[in-house]
Amino acid sequence: MLFLFPSCKKKAKVEPIDPPVEEGTGVSVDLSTVPYTKLSDYRFFEGEMKNQNPAEHVIPYEPASGLFTDYAHKKRFIWLPTGTQATYVSDHEVLDLPVGAALIKTFYYDDVQPAGDTRIIETRIMIRKSSGWIFANYVWNTQQTEAYLDLQGSTTNVSWLQNGQPKSTAYRIPNQTECHTCHKINDQPIPIGIKPQNLNIDYPYSDGTQNQLQKLISIGYLQNNLPGNIVSTVNYMDQTKTIDERFRSYVDINCAHCHSEGKHCSYRPMRLAFSETSDPINLGLCVEPEEFINSTLAYIIKPSDKNRSMMYYRLGSTVPSERMPLLGRSIVHEEGLQLLEDWINWKQTCN
Amino acid sequence: MKINFTFFLLLGMPWLSQAQNTCATASPITAGTYVVTAVDGTEIPTLICATNGTGQTAAEWYTYTPTGNYTINLTTDLAASAGVDTRFHVYSGTCGAPVCVAGDDDGGSGLTSTASFNVMNGTTYIICFDNRWSSTGFSFKLEESPIVVPPTPPITFTANTFPSVSGTYGLASTDMNGDFLDDIVTVSSSSVQILYQQISGAYVTTNIPTSTTMFQPSWSMAIGDIDKNGFNDMLYGSGNGITFMKANATGTAYTEISGSEYIFCQRTNFVDINNDGNLDAFSCHDIDPNVYYLNDGSGNLTFHTGGLGDHPEGGNYGSIWMDYDNDGDQDMYIAKCRGGASTAKIDELHRNDGGGVFTDVSVAAGMANPSQSWSSAWNDYDNDGWMDAVVGASSTDDGGHCLMKNNGNGTFTNITTGSGWDTNPSLSIEHVSFDFDNDGYTDVMGGGNKIMFGNGDMTFYPIVYAFSSGSVGDMNNDGFLDIRNGNTVYMSDKNSNNWITINLQGIQSNSNGIGARVEIYGSWGKQIRDIRSGDGFRYMNTLNAHFGIGTATGIDSLFIKWPSGQIDQVNNPTINAPITIVEGSHPLSLLEFDGKKITLYPNPTSDYLMIENFDLMDATNIEIYTQLGQRVMETQKKDSKISLTGLVSGRYFLVIKTKNGEKYSESFIKM
Repeated sequence: MLFLFPSCKKKAKVEPIDPPVEEGTGVSVDLSTVPYTKLSDYRFFEGEMKNQNPAEHVIPYEPASGLFTDYAHKKRFIWLPTGTQATYVSDHEVLDLPVGAALIKTFYYDDVQPAGDTRIIETRIMIRKSSGWIFANYVWNTQQTEAYLDLQGSTTNVSWLQNGQPKSTAYRIPNQTECHTCHKINDQPIPIGIKPQNLNIDYPYSDGTQNQLQKLISIGYLQNNLPGNIVSTVNYMDQTKTIDERFRSYVDINCAHCHSEGKHCSYRPMRLAFSETSDPINLGLCVEPEEFINSTLAYIIKPSDKNRSMMYYRLGSTVPSERMPLLGRSIVHEEGLQLLEDWINWKQTCN
Repeated sequence: MKINFTFFLLLGMPWLSQAQNTCATASPITAGTYVVTAVDGTEIPTLICATNGTGQTAAEWYTYTPTGNYTINLTTDLAASAGVDTRFHVYSGTCGAPVCVAGDDDGGSGLTSTASFNVMNGTTYIICFDNRWSSTGFSFKLEESPIVVPPTPPITFTANTFPSVSGTYGLASTDMNGDFLDDIVTVSSSSVQILYQQISGAYVTTNIPTSTTMFQPSWSMAIGDIDKNGFNDMLYGSGNGITFMKANATGTAYTEISGSEYIFCQRTNFVDINNDGNLDAFSCHDIDPNVYYLNDGSGNLTFHTGGLGDHPEGGNYGSIWMDYDNDGDQDMYIAKCRGGASTAKIDELHRNDGGGVFTDVSVAAGMANPSQSWSSAWNDYDNDGWMDAVVGASSTDDGGHCLMKNNGNGTFTNITTGSGWDTNPSLSIEHVSFDFDNDGYTDVMGGGNKIMFGNGDMTFYPIVYAFSSGSVGDMNNDGFLDIRNGNTVYMSDKNSNNWITINLQGIQSNSNGIGARVEIYGSWGKQIRDIRSGDGFRYMNTLNAHFGIGTATGIDSLFIKWPSGQIDQVNNPTINAPITIVEGSHPLSLLEFDGKKITLYPNPTSDYLMIENFDLMDATNIEIYTQLGQRVMETQKKDSKISLTGLVSGRYFLVIKTKNGEKYSESFIKM
C-alpha cells in the first residue's frame, strides 16, 4: 500500500524587508539602504561565511604591521563598485577610495578554550557614502553562521591559547562612537590602515603571490600612477628589518590614529606616524610628558632606560586611565612591549 | 691613579680627591667645579632627601664647610654632564645621624640635578651623589652667593603613612558614616576599604566585601547620600559605564547598581540637577554628549542625556558645579579637551534656569575657552562675593592657564596676565581650590606639586611641596586641610591662623547640602563656598565647608543658603571648631510680621504644637521632617494647632510654606 502524504508546505516565514538584491550573484552594497541587518546580505563571501572565502572582486589585504587588539587575528578585504577606482594621495595617507567602497575587517581567535576551535567575534565594515564614511559592525552568533548589525557595543569574554600559553580577556566590541574616536580626522570619519606605506608588501593571493599595490592596480582597483619609491612600513615582527623600522611601524599602526595632526590627542607632544618618526623627537625621545603619573617617568622615552620611560609604562599598563592605546586593547601586548624595550636599549642618546 | 696635586693646581682645576667612597672618608670641597668619574662608592645613603625613593647601589661622598653664611647652588646641570641622569642629597649633622637639608633628582635641564639651599658659617654639610638612575660620571658645580633668606612657606606638611590602606582606587578623603569626619576611602573590584576617622584622631580600618562590580572608578569617583539614610553612597565612573554603590542603613554593606548605558566617563559629580531634594548623578562623557541619572527619591535612578553639554564629539573632561550668578541654583562649567580642529575642546558654561533647564551661555559669558583643559578650580579668589575660576591647562597647544574674574553680571574677564598663572609652566589634569594656609584667601593646587597661594587680589605665588595632586580633606579634624597620596596623608603642620569648618546636614535639601552656598562675614568682609561633590578631575574631596579667617578673632555671622531655599543663620559661631548646621535649625529670621514673632510652643512638647501668630502668614501647607530628612507629616489645614500623636520621640523640623513660595522652618523636640 502506498501512503501518499501531501507535501507539507511550511507557511512562509515573514522575513524583515531586506533591500532588493539581484538574485544570488555579486556583492551587494546599496548605498540607499546600507547598513544591512545581516553580514550575509552583502554577499562578500562565498560558501560558508565562517570560512571567509571572498567573493569575486572582494580582495583580501594585510598591512605590513597590524593593530594589536588583545591578540585577535584579522582578515581584511576591500571591495569597490564596478568601474570605480582608488587614487593615490601620498605614501602615508589613506588611498582616496571612491563612493561605494567597502572595507571589511573580521576579528577572530584560534585555539579558543575549552574546545580549541576558532571563534569569529565581529566583522567591522566601513562604507563610503557620498556624505562620508559610515561604520557598521556585525557581531557573530555562537553557531558561527551569521553576524548581525550591532552599533551599541558590547563585551564578550574570550579564553584562548596564545602560542600554547593560556590567555583571556573581556573583549570589547566597539559601539559607533568608539569606532569614530579612532577613525577620524578633524571629526570626519576616515579609514586608517589602507595606505600605500602599509600595502607595499607581497600577499599570497589564490592566483599567486603578488605585491598588494600591484595587485590592486592590475585588477583596476587602483590608478596606475604610483611613485617609483614608496616610503613603507615593515612587519614589526620581521627580524630581518632594523629595530628602528620595526618599532616605528608598530607605533604608526597602534598609536598614530590618535597621536598625529588633526587627531584625537594631537595636543600631546608626540607625532607617531611613520612618516614623522624618522625624527625621534616625535616619538617623545627625551621629551617630558605633559600628564603626570609619577615622578620616575621623566621622559616619554628615555634612552636605554625603560623604567624612566612613560611610553613603556603605559604600553605595559592595564589601568584603564593610563594604558596606551586607550581604546582597543585591555591586556598587554607582550611582543610589542618587548619591541619598545629593544628600541629603548638600542637608543643610546637623546638625538 | 696617582694624582699630581701640583699638576692640577697649575691647570687651575680643582684637586680631584679619591677618598669619596664612604661618608666617613668624604672628600672636603670648596666652591668650584668638580668631575666625578663614576658613581661607584660602596656606601649608599640611607636617608633620601631627593624624590624617587630608593634603588641606589653606589654613591660618592663630599663634605663642604662654608666660611660664611651663603645661599648655595649645587648643580650637575653643566655642559659636561649633558645627557647624564644624576641625583644628590645634602645633609647636615653627621654620617651616623644625617638631617636632610636639600636634595634633587631631575630639577636641572634634562635629568640633571640642581638645588639651592642656605648654609651657615662653620657648619659641615655632607653631599652625596647616588646612582639611583645611573653610575655614569658627570661634573658638578658648587656656587656660593650672598645669603638670601627665602620667605617661609605659609604652611608646611608632614607625611603620615597609613600602612593598612590597600586597594586599587584610593581616590577619596570623604566622610562616609555621617559623623562629618573625613575618612580614607579606597575601593577595588570586589571590596570597599574605609579607614574611619575617629574623634580621638585614631583611624579604624574596615574592609567591606562587595559584589564584583561591573564598573570601577577608573576615571573618577563621587560620594554623596542619594537615599538620605545618613550613610554616604558612591559613584564609580569608568570608561564603559557607571556603577552606584549604595550603603545600607548601617553603613556596613554596599549594594551595587550598575547602569546599562555605555558612558566613557571622565569627571563625575553628585548634584541635585532638578532641585527636587534628591541627589542626582552627572557624568562627563569623553566622546558623546554628557549624561546624568535623575533620582526620584524612591530608589530609582533614571538615565538621561541631553541639555548639559551636547557636543556630538564629546570632549567633556572636568565638570564642576557652582553658583556663578548668585541666583541660588547650581550652574555647571565643563573644562574640555580635544585634538584636531574639533570645536569639542571649547569649554562650556551652562547656566541653571531652574527646574532642570540649563542654557549654554559660554560665549555670552566669555567662558568659551579653547585651551586644552581637564579641570577648573572655582572659588571667590578676591572675596567680592562672586565665584571666579582658574581654568587649568593640561597642554599649551591652545593656550595656557586662564584666571577668569567673575564680573558679577553674568560675564567673566580673563585677567591671567600678571596673576602668577601666566608664569606658571606646570600643566596638570588636576586643579582644585581650598584655603590651605587658612589666611582667608583661597588657593589652588595644580601641577608641578605646587600650591598656588592666593593673595586675595587675584595674584598667586607658588610653593612646591613633596606631594602631588590627590584627594583633600581634614584628616585629623584640626581645621587645616590635608592631602592624600595613596596610603600617605600629608598632614598640615598648621599655623597660627584661625578657621571654621561648617558641616551641613540637609533635610528638605539633599542630605549633604550639595549645592548649598555658605557665607561667612567678619572683619575681612565676606567669604563664600559652594558645597560640591566631585571637583578637580579624578578625586573626591571633603564635603564640609572649610574657611580660614587669618588673624581675625571672630566671625560675625554665617549663612547657609540651601538648595531648597531655606536660609540658616548663626551669629558669632565659635571659631577654631567645626559646627554642624541642620537645615532649618537656625532659620534666617524667626518670622516677624508687624513686629510679631512666629514661634512654636511648647517646645519641647509631647502631644501638639502651637504656631503663634500663624494667622499672619498666608500658609499653603505645613510639613514635618525627621532629622534625617524623611517627611512624616503633611497638612494643608490652616490650623495653628498641630497634633503630634503618632510621632516617635525625637527631634523634628516643622516647615511652613507660604503662598509666595517662601519656606520657614524651626526645629522642635517631641518627648
